[in-house]
Amino acid sequence: MLFSGEVRDNNKGREVTHLEYEAYEPMANKMITEIVDEAISRFKLNQAVCVHRLGQVDISGCAVVVITGAGHRKEAYDANSYIIDRVKNVVPIWKHEFFADGTSEWGQNCDCVTHKDEHEPDHHHEKAE
Amino acid sequence: MDKRPIKIICFAGLRKYFGNEITVLVESGASYSRVIDELKAINPEAADVLSSCRIAVNEEFMSLDEPLKTENILFLIPPSSGG
Repeated sequence: MLFSGEVRDNNKGREVTHLEYEAYEPMANKMITEIVDEAISRFKLNQAVCVHRLGQVDISGCAVVVITGAGHRKEAYDANSYIIDRVKNVVPIWKHEFFADGTSEWGQNCDCVTHKDEHEPDHHHEKAE
Repeated sequence: MDKRPIKIICFAGLRKYFGNEITVLVESGASYSRVIDELKAINPEAADVLSSCRIAVNEEFMSLDEPLKTENILFLIPPSSGG
């Protein structure tokens, strides 16, 4: 199962021109590897991959890909959702949004935290909300 | 009590307040949260985002109520917004 996270042309009613991603790269790479390895074992996957872009990503461009392969589709879909939620929640990657009016903003907390209880507690976001 | 300098590396939206890095003086035995308090004192406008930040050392998140160890560099990690 392949999920491609692609850049939207608007966010909360504001027209977006492009995004720029920044990461604390050594830690982000390490954490993505740990999340993927954990998912492979937890959901009994045959394979899993997650790659996140850095730098500028234009509208409709792919910012992140998660691929999960399993003998049954439920495990592949569940694991895919788990991986992208964890990556968005905890990995040190940040989105800088550029708007059509010339302004820009660093992304706030990701919008996927409502699913966190299905997985494991994330104290950081519980506090941040 | 003796104070020692701790260099803090900043990312993303934090750079608006502190630049790429900033050094603060903290007492020996102080907790990681003491570093965040120092930064709030330096720039109160950053207080909100600092309250959501985590601190990493050697690519591991530290518990904020733990005392600082021998490290001289901390990585201040604002809330994730990837994806």
